[in-house]
Amino acid sequence: MSLELAHVRKSFGDYKALDDINLSVGAHDFVCLLGPSGCGKTTLLRIIAGLLQADAGTLSFDGQDLGRMPPRLRNFGIVFQSYSLFPNMTVRENIGYGLRIRKTPADRVAARVDELLRLIRIPDMAERFPWQLSGGQQQRVALARALAVSPRLILLDEPLSALDARVRSEMRQEIRDVQRRLRIPTIMVTHDQEEALMLADTIVCMNNGSIEQVGSPQVLYDRPATSFVADFIGLSNLLPMDWLREFSPQTLSEAPPPAGDGSRWLLCVRPENIRLESRADGAATVGAVTFLGNLCRARLHWGKRELVVEQTAAAASVEGERIQPVIDARQSCWVAA
Amino acid sequence: MSATDALPSRPGSPRLPLPRTQEQMLTWVCVFVPTLALILFFGYPLLTIFWHSFVLFDGTMGLDNYAAIPSTPGLVTAGINSVVISVSTTVVCLLLGFPMAYALERSRIPGKGWIRLCLLLPMLAPSLVQGLGLLFLLGRNGLVFRWTGIEQDIYGYWGLLFSNVFYALPQAIMIIQAALRNADARYYDAATVMGATPRQQFFHITLPNCKFGLLSAAFVVFTITITDFGNAAVIAGNYKVLATEIFNQVSGQQNFGMGSVVGIILLLPALVSVYIERVSSQKQFGGGSENRIPLQPSRARWRDTWLGLIAHLTAFAIAAVVVVVVAASFIKLWPYNMTLTLANFKVKISSGYQPIWTTLYISLAAAVVGVVLLFMLAYGVRNLHGRIAKAVYLLAVLPVGVPGLVLGLSYIFAFNDPAYPLHWLYGTAILIALCNFYHYHTQGFLTMMTGMRMVPQALEDAAACLGGRVRHVMGDAILPVIAPTVLAVFFFLFMRSMVTLSAVIFLITPQLNVASVSVLHLNENGFVSQAAAFSTIIIAVVSVAMLAMRGLVHYFRPNLAQGLA
Repeated sequence: MSLELAHVRKSFGDYKALDDINLSVGAHDFVCLLGPSGCGKTTLLRIIAGLLQADAGTLSFDGQDLGRMPPRLRNFGIVFQSYSLFPNMTVRENIGYGLRIRKTPADRVAARVDELLRLIRIPDMAERFPWQLSGGQQQRVALARALAVSPRLILLDEPLSALDARVRSEMRQEIRDVQRRLRIPTIMVTHDQEEALMLADTIVCMNNGSIEQVGSPQVLYDRPATSFVADFIGLSNLLPMDWLREFSPQTLSEAPPPAGDGSRWLLCVRPENIRLESRADGAATVGAVTFLGNLCRARLHWGKRELVVEQTAAAASVEGERIQPVIDARQSCWVAA
Repeated sequence: MSATDALPSRPGSPRLPLPRTQEQMLTWVCVFVPTLALILFFGYPLLTIFWHSFVLFDGTMGLDNYAAIPSTPGLVTAGINSVVISVSTTVVCLLLGFPMAYALERSRIPGKGWIRLCLLLPMLAPSLVQGLGLLFLLGRNGLVFRWTGIEQDIYGYWGLLFSNVFYALPQAIMIIQAALRNADARYYDAATVMGATPRQQFFHITLPNCKFGLLSAAFVVFTITITDFGNAAVIAGNYKVLATEIFNQVSGQQNFGMGSVVGIILLLPALVSVYIERVSSQKQFGGGSENRIPLQPSRARWRDTWLGLIAHLTAFAIAAVVVVVVAASFIKLWPYNMTLTLANFKVKISSGYQPIWTTLYISLAAAVVGVVLLFMLAYGVRNLHGRIAKAVYLLAVLPVGVPGLVLGLSYIFAFNDPAYPLHWLYGTAILIALCNFYHYHTQGFLTMMTGMRMVPQALEDAAACLGGRVRHVMGDAILPVIAPTVLAVFFFLFMRSMVTLSAVIFLITPQLNVASVSVLHLNENGFVSQAAAFSTIIIAVVSVAMLAMRGLVHYFRPNLAQGLA
């Protein structure tokens, strides 16, 4: 374990931005802080960087207390969404900046910059200024600048959000490759679940200043702990126990609910885990069907609820058809309401 | 890797001690020093003027100064005259200012660059060259009388009205232009598609959207006029106004109590105008959103002919009164002997060119001190939040509501008092420099804040995370971005200090005179051509400063085009 956070809190006036955050990041982990805007993920990243001071709690790295350490002594690398390259410096000067202010000899700075320019694959742009680069190139330079000082930890603050879709997926791959190769622990803030699912070893899903769930992408998708996680990552149908008892009692026997107050739990059923049987006496009708290429997504009217179902395009139902839905209970899980 | 939720959540987790970082220390110093200076050199003097309005001739306190207004000879007349001349100036400036601003922003008249240049001229000279220029053109020794033999008495209401209009109109045009500039073409496209005629579009879209600009322009012109000293002193003649009256009460009759009462009266329209300005700045056209589609004026021959005629004639007149002063400074005996000469630049008054050097020194000092204090304040306020930041901000923008005349008077009250610890500054050039700086504090502060806001937070954070100390963050992240703003503020303070008249008129002494006041004295003593020569020197210095500013600001402009997508 390298980075450890315990009981971190932060308020802005009356607004609780972070409430009792506990987290640890392993030595080679790629961790994504995922959540909607305003959930506190950027605040958390800025506290880790030392740009903000937590109101309470402890931060440590490899056992060393970070609480009073200014950002410049933490030796972390950081990449922002945009506008973070020094406008008056060339690409070479930008990348070498951290080394220069550490009084590294010029020849070693030059060698390191060349090495990084090759790593991010823009070796021939060293003498250009930031405004002469495309958005993707600028973010590569920002990444190289963060890596130049051999940081103990890399922090990425929505580094891909300002890029257009094609460049974004390219950069995503690039960041992933670089991190795997250098094995530096990395924390990335994002609101894009697809990005988080693809990049992260571990996703920290946040909401309203608290951590909802921590786990691998697989775990968060297959076994969400709360209705918020189930809703935020992928599509899901959240079915109350009373409704299941009335319309799909078989599911309840296949997936027995946790003990205690039934109203506190919902069954999370992913759209691909509902099978549709075409039957004239079926309990549901098919609503609007959306064609998505390889898949079709259908709305289902079933027992006064609307459910989302995904089928392969070939087997798709048609609007107005009567069908009998069958929930795959083994692939579904109970989440806290 | 797991959330360490196994740890029990203690309600009283240890509170992290707040580190006194370099940055926090710097922030406090940066807020404290300029704020203290603001209190010493603006807040306190202003309070003394209120205090003195209650101090009577025999040293006792009371409301008698206020009660004596109606019975003080000339004061009521001066008050009425001031309001009449200011209202007339405002009306004329709006009637001319709107078509001119409209011509510049919404028409395709030729020669816009030329008009803009003409409108710039009055800003390069003290606010008395208009009066001086009118005398050279229409006075008893003016061109018109010399050529046509028609004699008119230019001294008085009409002369003052023309001078004030020529001085204030460019500023009115600038404000109305700003209100017209940020229009989005899509409003007009939508209106056209819905079937609105150009006339309906003008009355339903254009006019309602710039009404606050017009209101703001009106109050600014009114305030400039009612508090202006220079043109009134040159050309008002027997038409007494408050600005000259306050000077007579204080300088001539040593009636400080009465002077401060008149000062407080002059404070009112200025404060209202500042308030209107603040409100209108928030209610203008769309607020200039990022992705607006700028309006391309269509061709309209009839409209452009008339607008072009009005705009070019007015601009010509505004430029002419200034240019004629420059021309007269090179003429042997205007208008009788029109041979060119440099003799007028051999100044015969005792102090010679000393006032010019003093003014240069004062202006440089005001600019240097001002830029340092404003940079500190803008940096500090930006890193500060909450109530303190708001209070400091309010204090920093307050000086714009105080006319120069009132500020100058307040400096006498504050610094001429031997009991005030800073009394030793009285009669020094540095006090005049500080007075000039605080006179134009608000404009400089707001410009600096705008520049500071342009520094991307990510740039500062990046420098800090990469291992930068405060000086690295300052030198590599903030300064490169804000350099053009710092330069602009420097030259703004320098140029204003070169030409300002109303505040310094109270602070000069026989040993310490400034150029703009020298022009006034030379003119009063009949050395008209030498007054013109002095004006020409001021105009030349300020023009060079303005050119230098344009060049340098352009040169140091950072290219922030890092918009990613």
